[in-house]
Amino acid sequence: MGLVAGKKLFSIMALCAMIGLLLLPIAVSLPTLAMGADAPDAVKKDGEAKVEKGRDVYYKTEGIVAGAPAPKTVDGPRDYPRYNFESRVLLWFANQQHLYYGSFVLAVPIFCMVIEFMGVVTKDKAMAKRYDQLAYDFIKISLTAYSLTAILGGILIFTFLTLYPAFFGYLSSIFRPVMHIYALMFVAESGTLYIYYYGWDKMREGFLKWIHLSMSVILNVIGTLLMFLANSWIGFMMSPAGVDEQGRYLGNIWHVIHTALWNPLNVHRILGNMAFGGGVVAAYAAYKFLASKTDEDRAHYDWMGYIAMALGVAFLIPLPFAGYWLMREVYAYRQQMGITLMGGLLAWLFIIQATMIGILFLSTNYYLWQALGRMRGAEKYQRYIKYLVFVLCCGYLVFITPHTIVMTPAELKAMGGQQHPVLGNYGVMSAKNGGINVIITTTILSFVWYMRGNKVSTVSWSKFGNIFMGCFFGCAYVNIVGLAVLGYYIPANVRVGLSVPQVATTLSCLFFMFALNSFMMKGAKQMGPIEWGKISARSQYALIMLATAFTWMMGLMGYIRSSVRLFWHVNEIMRDNSPWAYTHTVGFAANMISFNVLFFWISILFVFWLGSLGIKKAPVEAKAGVPGGAAQPAGSH
Amino acid sequence: MGQTIVYVVVSLVICVAYFTAVDHFLMDSQGLDFWYLFRK
Repeated sequence: MGLVAGKKLFSIMALCAMIGLLLLPIAVSLPTLAMGADAPDAVKKDGEAKVEKGRDVYYKTEGIVAGAPAPKTVDGPRDYPRYNFESRVLLWFANQQHLYYGSFVLAVPIFCMVIEFMGVVTKDKAMAKRYDQLAYDFIKISLTAYSLTAILGGILIFTFLTLYPAFFGYLSSIFRPVMHIYALMFVAESGTLYIYYYGWDKMREGFLKWIHLSMSVILNVIGTLLMFLANSWIGFMMSPAGVDEQGRYLGNIWHVIHTALWNPLNVHRILGNMAFGGGVVAAYAAYKFLASKTDEDRAHYDWMGYIAMALGVAFLIPLPFAGYWLMREVYAYRQQMGITLMGGLLAWLFIIQATMIGILFLSTNYYLWQALGRMRGAEKYQRYIKYLVFVLCCGYLVFITPHTIVMTPAELKAMGGQQHPVLGNYGVMSAKNGGINVIITTTILSFVWYMRGNKVSTVSWSKFGNIFMGCFFGCAYVNIVGLAVLGYYIPANVRVGLSVPQVATTLSCLFFMFALNSFMMKGAKQMGPIEWGKISARSQYALIMLATAFTWMMGLMGYIRSSVRLFWHVNEIMRDNSPWAYTHTVGFAANMISFNVLFFWISILFVFWLGSLGIKKAPVEAKAGVPGGAAQPAGSH
Repeated sequence: MGQTIVYVVVSLVICVAYFTAVDHFLMDSQGLDFWYLFRK
């Protein structure tokens, strides 16, 4: 009894320590945040007459100048020391690898939190143990990657200091008031993560489990704040605020952090990280599935892959909309920047991006169709899959059609202009919005079929429910395509608003049809259990494809976002005068992204292997009833 | 069969009304006219 009370006391103390760690940076920053108010006094004390004011380039407010102007760099060893290699490429590599690992270790603990919570609230004991085991498996993978993330962060800082000292010096001078907060948050993140992981066994039941779960919430709050702070740097580089036109800090750190693009970047990155994290864990599970020797292991990793994929795709579906918001804000901030991105220099990269997005959704659908095979009763849907394939292919082909293509003069003459007389019509946003919404709606339909695969609804209104669901999806398709067609006949200023009802149509399918399906499937008759592990190997390759496409697309989008600054370190404030202040060719960028992806996957395989060396079978007694057991994993089943 | 037709008609009426309302109000909230083509 005394031991239990001691454990409780100790766990509460650990939780309080974590909350303290979380609050410590805020306490430390209080004098810093107040510095904006103190700065004028300090300046006054130095000399009443010498108070220089500047106007914020974004907020247009006046402030006391509290920093040096952005350095005017010159190409040479002082501002741009170098090895016998392109410095930008080295920085690109270091940045991208840190970002991959950072995203992974920030996303996976969020999955852990969700799955652990599902385990705690599930009444079925066997299921609770399975969820707990799964959450533990997730955090185990993340922990091994965590040290590598920190090492890569160190490498990144050294790369900056060595190759871009003037720029890094300026950026750190602007963010000096919050730099130590960032460092302290890292300490808090590490401490919390280790206690969370190593405390798993000792805090697995009752009150202690809730304390453990609370720790995961704190861990994720710290991780998210860390990411927000890092995002503020890139937000500042793209859309600076809190400085005057010479780049002098005006004493308000909140203006520097809260730039025009900060919030869209935060939302986009959270969703992107989650989708990426889900993809990587799904690929890990797929690899383990393919390498499994026993049915029990195959069942476990099949289930793990499914959960990771479902979580990843749950965040993938809203991701294009968050991207749309980000682009809209980019256009609102600087129209020219938006045009460079989507209609100018970088437009071809968006075609590649569209191709990758299409691949993500095609892979997801393919996996779901394959997964129908492990359910008895799901055969009834198989014959309709060919129609979904057709719809997906049509949406995909429209989505990836370029507006214009690079041609020789002879080809140009033969085609009669830059645009193809027929296909050229599909290379406009009106058609592309229709294409991607059709793809997402079809993915939602595949999910709905999967969720009802082995079930027959027993509610009295099931016939009406099924007909209504069919009509709703049918009308949604008609509405999406109809709006896309309407876009050709109305002026551009009206057309631009059509994307909003198109998105609303897709989201209506997502929320209403999932909800309707859940109501219909309450107490449904089961045709048979889901036979975990009895799925084709092809489906696992689809998961690996999904993860690779996520990784590639993340590298691509990072490059696009960074390149849009063109020859600026900090947009319109600090010019890049290095010899590499030009935009690479699409081919070079694609090779570089592929190299980064390859390096990431080789290194993470090494991390997985390292993790498997000290394998500890389970924090709970057994993987109860895994292979095709009656218990079912997701809440929707 | 008759019941199925009734269900289909009722479902279609609800869905068409819903999506038309979505299109109209979401365009209207942006200060844009969804019925532009029909008015011109």
